[in-house]
Amino acid sequence: MRSKRIVATAAALALALGLSACGGSTSTGGSATAGKDGVLSAGTLTLAALADNNSFDRAALEIGHKTQYWMPVFDTLLVLDPQSVPQPGLATKWSYNADNTVLSLTLREGVKFTDGAPFDGKAVAANLDYLKNGGGQNAYMAKSVKTVDVVDATHANLVLSAPDPGLLGYLGVVGGAMASPASLTAADKATNPVGSGPYVLDKAKTVAGSQFVYERNADYWDLKSFPYEKLIIKPMTDVTARINALKSGQVNGAVIDSKSAAEAKSSGLQVETTQVDWTGLFLADREGKVVPALGDVRVRQAINYLFDSPALLKGISLGQGEVTNQVFGKSSQAYVPALDNYYSHDEAKAKKLMADAGYADGFTVTMPDSPGFATVNPILEQTLLKLNIKTEWVKVAPDALGGQILAGKFPMFVFNLGSQSAWQDIQKVALPTSPWNTAKVNSAELNALIEKAQFATGSEQDTAMQAVNTWLVKNAWFAPFYRMSSPYATDAKTKVVLQSQNAAPWIRSYSPAP
Amino acid sequence: MLSFVIRRLLAGVALVFVIATITYVLMHSSTGNVARNILGENATAEQVAAKTTELGLDQPLLTQYFSWLGNALTGNFGISWYNSESVTAALVGRMPITLSMVISAIIVIALISVVLGVTAAVKGGWLDRVIQVVSVVGFALPNFWVALMLVLTFSLSLRLLPATGYVPPSESILGWAATLLLPVTSLVLGGVASAAQQIRGATIDVLRQDYIRTLHARGLSPQSVVLKHALRNAAGPALTVLSLQFIALLGGAVVIERVFAIPGIGTLTVNAALGGDVPLLMGIVVVMAILVVLVNLVIDIANGWVNPKVRVQ
Repeated sequence: MRSKRIVATAAALALALGLSACGGSTSTGGSATAGKDGVLSAGTLTLAALADNNSFDRAALEIGHKTQYWMPVFDTLLVLDPQSVPQPGLATKWSYNADNTVLSLTLREGVKFTDGAPFDGKAVAANLDYLKNGGGQNAYMAKSVKTVDVVDATHANLVLSAPDPGLLGYLGVVGGAMASPASLTAADKATNPVGSGPYVLDKAKTVAGSQFVYERNADYWDLKSFPYEKLIIKPMTDVTARINALKSGQVNGAVIDSKSAAEAKSSGLQVETTQVDWTGLFLADREGKVVPALGDVRVRQAINYLFDSPALLKGISLGQGEVTNQVFGKSSQAYVPALDNYYSHDEAKAKKLMADAGYADGFTVTMPDSPGFATVNPILEQTLLKLNIKTEWVKVAPDALGGQILAGKFPMFVFNLGSQSAWQDIQKVALPTSPWNTAKVNSAELNALIEKAQFATGSEQDTAMQAVNTWLVKNAWFAPFYRMSSPYATDAKTKVVLQSQNAAPWIRSYSPAP
Repeated sequence: MLSFVIRRLLAGVALVFVIATITYVLMHSSTGNVARNILGENATAEQVAAKTTELGLDQPLLTQYFSWLGNALTGNFGISWYNSESVTAALVGRMPITLSMVISAIIVIALISVVLGVTAAVKGGWLDRVIQVVSVVGFALPNFWVALMLVLTFSLSLRLLPATGYVPPSESILGWAATLLLPVTSLVLGGVASAAQQIRGATIDVLRQDYIRTLHARGLSPQSVVLKHALRNAAGPALTVLSLQFIALLGGAVVIERVFAIPGIGTLTVNAALGGDVPLLMGIVVVMAILVVLVNLVIDIANGWVNPKVRVQ
């Protein structure tokens, strides 16, 4: 009887050990060894991604979390360094003409796509044309490119319809991603990416929704920048699953959230943060067409003074972020440090401004109530009541929130919005046609400042961009509370440098920890 | 028996049709922002309008519905609006993962709950009370919490099993078992608690019947009475509760798949519903409805097999 028990116990242990040995892939991400030509070889890098990949169609590529799926296979014309400063990529040199309407590119020689086609000026023209007319979310990145003049195989001129201060930044992300021209319109373009990047998608091992497997492109021109032999990206929508995968050694890196950062650190994971999104109120009805009070700048300023941003940051995001009153991020050309505290919390001043504007008794405003902001909305409602501003909430489903807001349905709303380059942000929020200028407010004064920034160069452009920012803050188009820290966790074997304007790091930013 | 099966099948077809119609109508109300969601914030109103036309969302509801229904009847569920993947391909890729989890769970639930339920009914006394208390506790624990505790213990502390992911059996049978062990255990606990109680009650009812007393009086062994006679008669309610469990497990898999990052139908359903991806969601709903009808049919046939009275009725 006893011997039977021993055998049974041994069998159970063997099964458990056997199962654990076969239990899914365990990440390596180990230390690198020097290989041929000094190229580091560091095994497999396994990452958990917050969102699944939709498509590898060149026109449908996206920024944000989805960059990690396409950057391994598609090179970009320029490379944005961690501070989002353009560096050479497939284009080795670039320069504008005197009035910033022609961008001349010198293209890297000898680069081939993985189908054998050469990378040249014609490929640049084909890609930009396809992006511009492909109907994807980022078609705007090629919008200003009127034509591409192919000078020869290694030179191309992008002729612009007007100066585009955001163009260099776009060429470092989706705007500059280069796919083999033959693949652009292929029937399998969504699942079979053909680029010239450091990795090649292993279609046999890739399962949509489960894992994307990439093998090193042995012919890549810059192997030294990519030490890992193999890359695996696993979509995991749940933050708890991502952290568990990290802790158990199944993945080497993952985006986490501010609520999980402390737990991740205490578990021995490395946690870095970057600031991409800001959160706050959009005082959208700046002309007061729906809520006349919001047309008065003093009312909008009063709302800015009303909110105790440090307390909101601590209460809602556990202090993971930085208080600000501007919509431009710290790495932005338009960033002005002093504007972070332009409206320090001052309830008395807020009440006086309301009284001066003739709204001491307050007013009523309609705002969207969506589950994503369930923790914030009660705080907003209570705080606004201090100025006798009553809130009427309209229930909105999460998938409908963006659409209803962009359609201009709400005169005021709270939202989290990402900040990229200064020009990109101006395009998003400040022009009469901007999607996030939801009431399509048209200010001649602001337009003049924007135009000046568009046509300026060098430090004059910096100053002009900052002038736009200052105008937006002083006129209280928004009431930002704080920039949110986006934490990214890695295991002890992996080092990562985060990107200033993207929550997910570039693949080239990972390396084995020393 | 054949007419019984045919009647059930026809009722099932009608049920699937009704479910599909109601779902389509409900989904229609949330498609107002789909084109904008697909194209992104920078799309112009003209581009959004063009996309709306391309998706057929500018057509009257009935036109859209009959267009979808016509294609669905030929087995063509269309393509996902968001990633251009064929709905059929998405279902073929995801459904086996969820089914392997749910079928494994229902088998384990059946085995454990029969043992617990019958033991509690036959033995009675303190064992019955212990099993009942354990069942109630098991029922009260949310499966996502159980899942997290299992991960904490077996993946993070003991490092015996993977915390997330799924390995197809074609790649490794042991790997497949390892990735499913914790998710299945999470699903099993609540299921066992519920089914064991039902089986206990059904077995007690049967054991009180006159013919059981007669069998005992004729000198049959207690094991023979329970295993050959009582269990067969108690099987009806047990099968019914297990079929309900199966359907509940399909719903429970949504949460468990998220916790374990398993790329099954649950994750796909949540994403499709949140994005208003009508073709994908309709494909999922129809397949799930067919599955539920089939499970009920199988249970009805099984009930008919164990109890001839059911066939007559």
